[in-house]
Formats: sequence, C-alpha cells, structure tokens
Amino acid sequence: MAESAKTTMKVNIVAADHPVWHGEATSVTIPAYEGGMGILPDHEPVLTVIKSGTVTVVEPDNDRHMFEVTDGFIAFDSNKLTVAVERGRDVKYSTTEEQ
Amino acid sequence: MGSQLALKSRIHSTESLAKIFNAQEMIASSHIAKARDVALNAKPYTDAIFDAVQALVAHTHITHPIAVRDEHNPRVAVLALTSDRGMAGPYTSSIIRETEMLLARLEADGKQPELFVYGRRGSTYYKYRNRDIAATWEGDTDQPGVEIAETISNTLMDAYMKPADKGGVSELYIVYTEFINMVVQKVRVLRMLPVEIVENETPDRAPESEIPVDDVTPLYAFEPSLDEVLDAILPKYIQSRIHECLLTAAASETASRQNAMHTATDNARSLIDDLTRQLNASRQASITQELTEIIGSADALNKEEE
Repeated sequence: MAESAKTTMKVNIVAADHPVWHGEATSVTIPAYEGGMGILPDHEPVLTVIKSGTVTVVEPDNDRHMFEVTDGFIAFDSNKLTVAVERGRDVKYSTTEEQ
Repeated sequence: MGSQLALKSRIHSTESLAKIFNAQEMIASSHIAKARDVALNAKPYTDAIFDAVQALVAHTHITHPIAVRDEHNPRVAVLALTSDRGMAGPYTSSIIRETEMLLARLEADGKQPELFVYGRRGSTYYKYRNRDIAATWEGDTDQPGVEIAETISNTLMDAYMKPADKGGVSELYIVYTEFINMVVQKVRVLRMLPVEIVENETPDRAPESEIPVDDVTPLYAFEPSLDEVLDAILPKYIQSRIHECLLTAAASETASRQNAMHTATDNARSLIDDLTRQLNASRQASITQELTEIIGSADALNKEEE
C-alpha cells in the first residue's frame, strides 16, 4: 500500500490472562457502550467502555479479523489502540478472496 | 542383629522419602516455568489497565469511593494468600505470622479487621483455632486463573462498596509473598483499597517506549462519561492487581516448595549416609564380637587340651 503514514494504526488486543492479537490495522470496529464504534487511524485520544461483542479488525491488505470479547475498555492514543477485555478469543479470519 | 535390621529399614524408608522429595522438587521446578509464562501472559493486560488508570488520574482529581477512605468506618478487610498444600517450607507459616501481626496492629489502632483467606493451609489453620473468617477460597493456589481472581475481587469489592452500617469495610489489606528470585521471597502487606494512585507507584511498569517519557499524556475523550469509565475501570484495576498478587504469590509458593524439597532431599541423603555408617559400624562390631568369641572359645579349648 503506497499511502502516506497514518493510514494504519497499531492494535493490541489483550485478555486478562493472555495477549490475544497485535498488529497493524486500517480500521477497527468495537462494540462500544452505545452501539458499534469505528476507529480509524489518527482518531482523537479516547478511552471508552465496551460491552461484550465482536471486535472487527481490518488489516492493511483488507483481511478481516474478528474477535469475540467480553466487557472491557479500549484506549486510543498516539495512533495506538489498546483493547483490554476480561476474556477474548479469535473467532474468524477471512481474507479478501473469500469476501 | 536387631539393631542392624532396624537400621536397614530406616535406611530403606529414608531412601523412599528422598525419592518423593526429589520428585516434588522436579515438579516444582517445572511449575516455575509455567508460573512465569502465566505471569508474562497477564502482563499486557495489567499494563493496559495501569496506563488507563494513569490517564484517568492525569485528568481528574478522583473522588470515586474506591479512591477515598471512609474515615468513620472502623471495619477493615485483610486477605491472606496462603497455599493449598504443604511441603513448601515456611511459606504459609510466614504469611500467617505476618497476618497475625497485621491483625494485632489494626486492632491496636481501634479497627475491626475481618479476615479473608485464600489457600487450604491458611483456612484450616484459622478454622482449627475457631477464628472468625469472613470468607475462604481454595484451589489452584499454585496456578491461579482469572476466574479465582474475579471471584475474590468481586467478594472484596462488594464488601468495600457496601455501606458501613451494612457491614461494609473501609480498607483492604493483602498479605502475600513477593517473588524476588528463586531463593528470596518476601512477605509483604499491601494496602489495596482505597486505591492510592501515585504517578510513579510502580516505575517498572511504566508505559512502553512508544510514548516518549517527557510527552504530555494525551487529552482523552471519555465515553460514555468519565464517571462511568471510572466505575468500569477501577474494579478491573483492582481485579488485575489482585490477580497480580495471586500470580506472584503462586510463583513464590512454587519457588519456596522447590527450595524446601531441595533441602529435604539433601537432608535425606545425608541421613542415609549417617545411617549407612552406623549400620557398617554395627555390622563390624558384631563381626568383631563373633571373632572374639570364636577365638576365645578356641583358646579355652586349646588350654583344656594342654
């Protein structure tokens, strides 16, 4: 992807007893307190509570990565997204071809 | 000879004990690696929560009940982290000793401590002495999971958030063993609640290098609102701190068990050496005695023939 910086952000998903996933992403959808919330790179710093649901991560090559999470919170700052949940697991990984 | 038989059977039983101690030691050392993995796996979450709490503190002067002590409630909770099984040297006894000292100190200050115990050894100790225990938990003290941390922190948070006239507590102390290294573990008393969030409370867990040290913490937006974020995150912070205490206590327990079993194995071996020497001496003595008797009686016979 020949785009300038800040089209991706660092994502780090951690559960209470193990790190779930980390990597680069172009967008992330989280089950925020009042419905789904999309986060794009360079979002303003935010700290929000999330409900249990599915976190969807879109990777730079358009692959979608889904994670099932319980309640927790997310923090975004310095182009870095941290998703901290009690329990979380990788549920679905679909590549561009499958879509 | 009776004493030889007795010595032989003592040597035999000591040998089988030594085998057990040795096996326990090896089990403990394999658990250490696992305990370290578990602690490493939990660290990212602890760090994330810690960073979030730091961000919250940077923004607000927290007046949440979790951070403010109720001066008029003399009841305090004490949680002692002991082990489920013995054979861990002085692990549980030093926790109990420290807990007793803390309880005495709190009572001297005019407080009414309530005791919470994790670990079978600790709970049987107090039950046997008919002491009042508010709650006990057992199981998995050598590899505590998130579930047990959740159960414990929920119980304690309930006790803390309850109003004083309904039996709530105003402070929470945790007595646990800190893992310093394989040889050194230290019993510590930690005041967990109300939370004292000091900026550099634990410098070793400072944010990673992504954020420059001299950088100002970014101005966060809190959703849905600051209070609700606080309500959600502070209990999680407590839970993760409790989980951290459980993990370090488990690592200490395992290390303490390994040390104790190593000493026990060495001791059993030196005991076997001593007993073997005694056995040899006693066998030699009996042989010498037999020889003396034979020679003596032969001499006597010879004399009679003369």
